[in-house]
Amino acid sequence: MRRAVTFLKTFLLAAMLVAGPTALAPALAQNPIQADGVNPMGARPTADSVNEEFLFKQSDKIQGRISIPDQKAANLIQPQGREYRNFRESWLPWIGGLVILGMIAALGAFFLFRGRIMMEHSQESGKKILRFNAFERFTHWMTATCFIILSLSGLNYIFGKRLLMPLIGPDAFGALAQWAKYSHIYLAWPFMLGVAFMFVLWIKDNIPNKIDIAWLKAGGGLIGKGHPHAARFNAGQKGVFWMVAGFGAAMSVTGLMMIFPFALTDINGMQLMQVVHSVIGIVFIAGILAHIYIGSLGMEGAYDAMGSGKVDLAWARAHHDLWVEQEQARTASGPQLKGHPAPAE
Amino acid sequence: MKAFAVAVIAAISLGVLAMFALNSSQKLAYQAFATSGARVSEPGTNLVGPRWNGAPRPDEFESEPHGKAEGEASNPKRS
Amino acid sequence: MARMKFLCDADRCIECNACVTACKNEHEVPWGINRRRVVTLNDGKPGERSVSMACMHCTDAPCAAVCPVNCFYTTADAVVLHSKDICIGCGYCFYACPFGAPQYPRVGNFGSRGKMDKCTYCSGGPEADFSTAEYEKYGSNRLAEGKLPLCAEMCSTKALLAGDGEMIAEIYKQRVIKRGYGSGAWGWKTAYRETVAI
Repeated sequence: MRRAVTFLKTFLLAAMLVAGPTALAPALAQNPIQADGVNPMGARPTADSVNEEFLFKQSDKIQGRISIPDQKAANLIQPQGREYRNFRESWLPWIGGLVILGMIAALGAFFLFRGRIMMEHSQESGKKILRFNAFERFTHWMTATCFIILSLSGLNYIFGKRLLMPLIGPDAFGALAQWAKYSHIYLAWPFMLGVAFMFVLWIKDNIPNKIDIAWLKAGGGLIGKGHPHAARFNAGQKGVFWMVAGFGAAMSVTGLMMIFPFALTDINGMQLMQVVHSVIGIVFIAGILAHIYIGSLGMEGAYDAMGSGKVDLAWARAHHDLWVEQEQARTASGPQLKGHPAPAE
Repeated sequence: MKAFAVAVIAAISLGVLAMFALNSSQKLAYQAFATSGARVSEPGTNLVGPRWNGAPRPDEFESEPHGKAEGEASNPKRS
Repeated sequence: MARMKFLCDADRCIECNACVTACKNEHEVPWGINRRRVVTLNDGKPGERSVSMACMHCTDAPCAAVCPVNCFYTTADAVVLHSKDICIGCGYCFYACPFGAPQYPRVGNFGSRGKMDKCTYCSGGPEADFSTAEYEKYGSNRLAEGKLPLCAEMCSTKALLAGDGEMIAEIYKQRVIKRGYGSGAWGWKTAYRETVAI
């Protein structure tokens, strides 16, 4: 019985194989388009090809297979370059110019309105107290010098061809821009190290707390009169710390992505990194300009903290009263350093 | 002031260090984009090889570099 | 004055890569740098097409716009060229280029990737025509000899067309009319803000 069924199946299959093409042949012959190369499936491989419009509907860029080992080359067309170009050439110079010049104008107006914030003298004037030790100052200045070079060479990418190139000519500018690029890439490393050091050194004094709210409400001694309480760093300085930490981290991440191009992202990622790096960089520069102003020209006595490391006790008492108390309690013998050198024994 | 000077020196020396570190990890395109199927020798003085200044080497290209047609171009760049 | 363009007829391109080889040989471009490449779309599927792509010498070129040192210039033939003496190898042109044309001799890091290299439409660089310096930096200058780019000249199926934009568009148009189909002038809309109307 089973054998009979198997035989029947085989016979039917054989009959179909023989009869099939013969039965289909008249149908194919009647198809008028078949002469134009239509295969039995109905597709027209020569005419039904992919086209640009269709591929752009599927994806925002056209990618294919490439026989060279450079995968970036598999992108046939990426129109996103146009948006990147539009941002970099139409928006970025305006953002950069307005933010940075706006900050300079604001600082100038503040200087005219408030003037230099002078030291208030008391009986403690002349005595000195150590505010930043040698390593703290070293870290600060390493980061600061790197930052200045990085910001100038960074701005050169945006404004160099607009401001500097007409002045010194293309060849000199090309050489200068090449060196600016080297400095931007290589000094980024001490900068990143400096930001990391500063973060570790000062984070314990920069945790926001209630004193900061009171400090901000009182106008921080910048706008209002008198000096609200402050520990080692007041709310404004904490703001600078967190700005440097946050922006420094963001600049490092986007910068590293650009130093090692295409290591982690594709072309659109690279474009985005560039946009983020440039916008944050500009805001960062504006923020640091304010920091430089208040640390030098804007306030008498403030520069000594990073200059020699020792500040006037009267200044410290006025600006960082809680910190002075803490320091004096810690050393238990008043100011650590005398205003005058101790006589030789 | 001493801290500042030390900081500047440290920044520069770290920068130089970074330069050597980065350049040691630098790959030439012919190394990066060669597969096991291709053994690429040092491209040497190829067009866009490692020599960038473009100054002609004294011993090279004494005459026409590429078997060019003799004579002046009648209409250079058609400008 | 001619307005030089490239047009790749994808319905004729057979992905033989002769254009790539011709370019490499003519300009002695080292391994790893591809001024021209062939990309296959829908590989292995019905309607597969290959497109030979290089710098398209765009109208209002994005690379020239984003260059921080303005090293690009456009010749009278609308060919987009650049000066390797001024280029700092920043790579911004690669981010802006819709066609992935700019190439760099080193790939590891941004700091020292070398001067950018790209298709010159076989017309050299800013140096004097046929000078050694021009040849060493940019390759040969066929345009100044009155010849068109070698990739298109030696294309075995005449898929890749080079020459004045209007003329090659006309040739392509006639082909499309004759055979009844065409997948379009690849990249023209992005590069020249216009396409070949059929």
